[in-house]
Amino acid sequence: MSDKINRDRPQLGRRGLLGAGALGAAGWIAGGGGWMLAPKGAFAADPIKMGIATDITGAIAPSGNANWQVAQFTVEQINKAGGIGGRPIELFLEDTASDPKIAVGNVRKLIQDRKVNVVLGGITSAMRQAIKDPIVNRGRTLYIYPQLYEGQECTKNLYCTGPTPAQQCDKLIPYIIKTLGKKRFAMPSANYVWPQLLNKYARKVIEANGGEVVFEEYYPLDQPEYSATIGKIRDGKVDCVFNTVIPPGLQPFVKQLYESGFQKNGGVLSCVYYDENLLNYHPAQEMEGLYSCLDYFQSIDDAFSKQLQADYMKRFPDTKYLFTAGSAATGMYRGIKFYEAAVKATKGDLAREAVSAAMDKAKIEQGPGGGAEMVPGKMHCKMNMYIAQCKVDAGKTRYDVIESDKMVDPKEC
Amino acid sequence: MGIEVKLAFDLLAFISVMVLIVLGLGIIASMMGIFNFAHGEFVLLGAYTVYVFESSGLSSWAGIFAAPVVLAVIGLVLERLVIRRFYAAPIIAMLGTYAVGLVIRESVRGLLGGHYKSISEPLPGVFTLLGVDVSAWRTVIVLTTICIIAGTWLFLARTSVGLQIRGSLENPNLARACGISTSKLYAFTFAFGAALAGLAGALIVPLYQLSADIGTRFLVQAFLSVMLGGVGTFEGPVLGAAAVGGMAAGLPWLVIPVLADPLVFIIALAIVKFRPQGFITQGRL
Amino acid sequence: MLSEAGSGAGVTAGGAGRSGADGPRQAERKRAFRRVLPFVEGATLLLALAAPVVLGEQTNLITLLTNVLILSLLAISFDLCWGLSGIMSFGQALFFGVAGYAIALVGRDLGFSELWGTLPLAMLVGFVLAGLFAAFLLLGRKPPTSIFVALGTLTGSYAAERLVSGWQYVGAGNGLSAVKLLKIGDYEFVEGTAFYSLALGILLLVYAGARFLKQSQLGLVLAGMRQNEERLAFLGYRVQLFKALVFSLAGMVAGLGGALYSYHQGFIGPGNMGPGLSTAAVIYCLFGGSGTLIGPILGTAVVEILTYVLADQAAIKAIWPVILGLVLLVVVMFQPKGILGLFLSDRERIGSYGRRRRDG
Repeated sequence: MSDKINRDRPQLGRRGLLGAGALGAAGWIAGGGGWMLAPKGAFAADPIKMGIATDITGAIAPSGNANWQVAQFTVEQINKAGGIGGRPIELFLEDTASDPKIAVGNVRKLIQDRKVNVVLGGITSAMRQAIKDPIVNRGRTLYIYPQLYEGQECTKNLYCTGPTPAQQCDKLIPYIIKTLGKKRFAMPSANYVWPQLLNKYARKVIEANGGEVVFEEYYPLDQPEYSATIGKIRDGKVDCVFNTVIPPGLQPFVKQLYESGFQKNGGVLSCVYYDENLLNYHPAQEMEGLYSCLDYFQSIDDAFSKQLQADYMKRFPDTKYLFTAGSAATGMYRGIKFYEAAVKATKGDLAREAVSAAMDKAKIEQGPGGGAEMVPGKMHCKMNMYIAQCKVDAGKTRYDVIESDKMVDPKEC
Repeated sequence: MGIEVKLAFDLLAFISVMVLIVLGLGIIASMMGIFNFAHGEFVLLGAYTVYVFESSGLSSWAGIFAAPVVLAVIGLVLERLVIRRFYAAPIIAMLGTYAVGLVIRESVRGLLGGHYKSISEPLPGVFTLLGVDVSAWRTVIVLTTICIIAGTWLFLARTSVGLQIRGSLENPNLARACGISTSKLYAFTFAFGAALAGLAGALIVPLYQLSADIGTRFLVQAFLSVMLGGVGTFEGPVLGAAAVGGMAAGLPWLVIPVLADPLVFIIALAIVKFRPQGFITQGRL
Repeated sequence: MLSEAGSGAGVTAGGAGRSGADGPRQAERKRAFRRVLPFVEGATLLLALAAPVVLGEQTNLITLLTNVLILSLLAISFDLCWGLSGIMSFGQALFFGVAGYAIALVGRDLGFSELWGTLPLAMLVGFVLAGLFAAFLLLGRKPPTSIFVALGTLTGSYAAERLVSGWQYVGAGNGLSAVKLLKIGDYEFVEGTAFYSLALGILLLVYAGARFLKQSQLGLVLAGMRQNEERLAFLGYRVQLFKALVFSLAGMVAGLGGALYSYHQGFIGPGNMGPGLSTAAVIYCLFGGSGTLIGPILGTAVVEILTYVLADQAAIKAIWPVILGLVLLVVVMFQPKGILGLFLSDRERIGSYGRRRRDG
């Protein structure tokens, strides 16, 4: 990426006397790491600095890379249209490496070294919990979290642009129980906060609709062996597996479930973060027939979304990291557009309080799957939600939309 | 009846995975007294070999057959260059092999770009056995493990090289006095142990995805298995692996999985503490 | 009274208690022998004191150096075990992490983060946990093999990491974030020069304490233990008990480091008590030079600073861990005494004991 670094800018200028001196000359102060996407061309105004903290390596890498590519794509679109109020956006990337321990240190670089105006990122809730303190409290920076999650994140200056449990479960679960007729649920889960709180919410909806939770179990993230789980699914005559196991434990689980003939015998697998990107994680036949509920699927018949997809694929031809909803890519797009709208509303004032106040009321007219609007005071946004089923076609997956709902309320905070 | 068969099979499949991984480690530990911290990375390299074959368009089966060969060569080279300096000091051996493992692991991580890769089983799907659906690939693993155990036992018991190895296991000095070149035997043993690890990696990678960290996933369990079973024999580590593997797969039935996970270690460590010579006592430690 | 516990080939019979038999040759060697260690220590101290002044406003670098100081505590803790007493512990991070969790929990549940309370608590947690561990691993009817101790500590560290990853109360895989800031009265320590000074002060105290220990009678016993356990046992010393004591003290130091880390990072996770960090401590110590106490500090500084700097260059970023591994391998194979071994004589590394006679 070095050819994109604008060498005219004084890299060390803001470091003061000593930085530009001996240590700088020795190459020691190399500016904090990560990658940088600097705007091309001559922009008179000072750029707006945007930090992306996402998983480029590690178990969540396929989603993290999708996030990063979508961020680059979106920012390039905005810059091509003149930036925000004439100011270009400059992107900085830090790899959170799917490891909260490493992430904390790297995110600190974004804040202290790069001094970004806003940070977008974090995919798993574990990651969000780890990096939100360095960003929001110690770093006093705005933070936008783009991924679907368990809700109850009401920290000030932390905006969530991904779906909440209410948005994902309120229609999906009744559909499974009433339309598909599957009433006995199993909840195999990864052992961390997202599955725990999501399951609590889902259980309420399941029981309110006449279903039953046969068992709810938590595994270490890298559990390799699930025969006990499969046994319980069989014993309990479970007909719907509401899965919240995540990679790396996901692959052995889904494989063992498939091998046990669960789907063959009519069982339904449902997982609310499954999208077209999951092909990067395991073979297609293991997810055939799966039900998911997200804010966007590629098969949606929407002119803007289709154009967005086409432009994205043109920008990143042959990429395996697709622009999908379960991987926080749509939330990333939404988050950047919300930020753009907010800064336009503050007329260029980048102070956190000002932008935050503007963001609180921000609306975007168009986006993947439709527009979105922030619910004032609630840090979350309304968006369109779609229930879809995974169909397999020559080794590729396709999500056929079954139901859609407009501007669903997140019901948070 | 079907359910019990299925569960017994699943348990057997996981134990086979553990045995495959531990066998090489146990042989090296019994023979040379060193715990090879790079063993997990040998498993990783076996898996990586299959990945390389598969992504170059060659058959995965070829990769599976190539993996032990590749690892035998690597093991031999490492033994000559690095490992032989450590025979006198087992603790330094642990550090040295840890360093070797670190180099291998991070090199693979760099080659993989930090990503996780899916490798499909060369023999996918399920087939029906005794009215129960069993995974074809796991069956291959179980059968291969049985063959390897049988083959290794035959080798040790019936061949002259095997006899030399057993002699060196029991009393290296005496073996040397009889004119056996323990140095050559050690090299052979290390290469053999590495080859076993490579084969294990090649066989289990379709189940668990390839990433730079698959080697470390089972390393501590492997060490415990060897200590549990008893260093110094061939059967010891196998039994130890069966015990640890059985606990790891079986405990989640009794306690919640997140507790079962560390419990395996605590129980194994406690057993080792109170029976330090392991299940089968003979030979070195 | 043993004047020296060292044995290694080529070490001159030095210090007190030497008869003047080979007068001129001995005198020559004595002249050639310069004490390097105090220079190294002095230089390091000067650098450490000068750093915040020189770096001024660059918080990210001060943060880096503070991290170095804190991780040095972990490295010293390992050195107390291995360099001083010959106990290979692959699990020092266990005490580091558990103490870090303890003070994070105290901050979260009790709202308490006063320095005079939490740091002693961390030390106590480290000491007690290490003591229990040592009792399990080391004491008993039969003395354990060194392999058992090494693997036992590794297992302990690993099992703890797995246990904590699954335990919701302590945040499970998320770890504990937003750790309440360390404070004295109303003053809160944030990342920066203040925390750096605190960490430096604590490191100095620990270092002085460890040095004192090393030069003391207890240190002499440890040196004997390190050289030849059996011999010392035959002299009547209860070797395992001494090992347990040192292990507990090392655990105390690690615990202190863990608490500072938790306060400084504002985050503590299962990875901070697992084999990953434990083996990092081993690397720091071996790289710098085990047994010298200043070696681990130097090792930590070099490794951490290089990692920070090199992580920036995209080209090296991927292979830096490989380089680190290769360097460690070279160190283990050819230069087990680490960087300091390059210019520190064996005698200085091991140390002299006993009173100095006037001819010394």
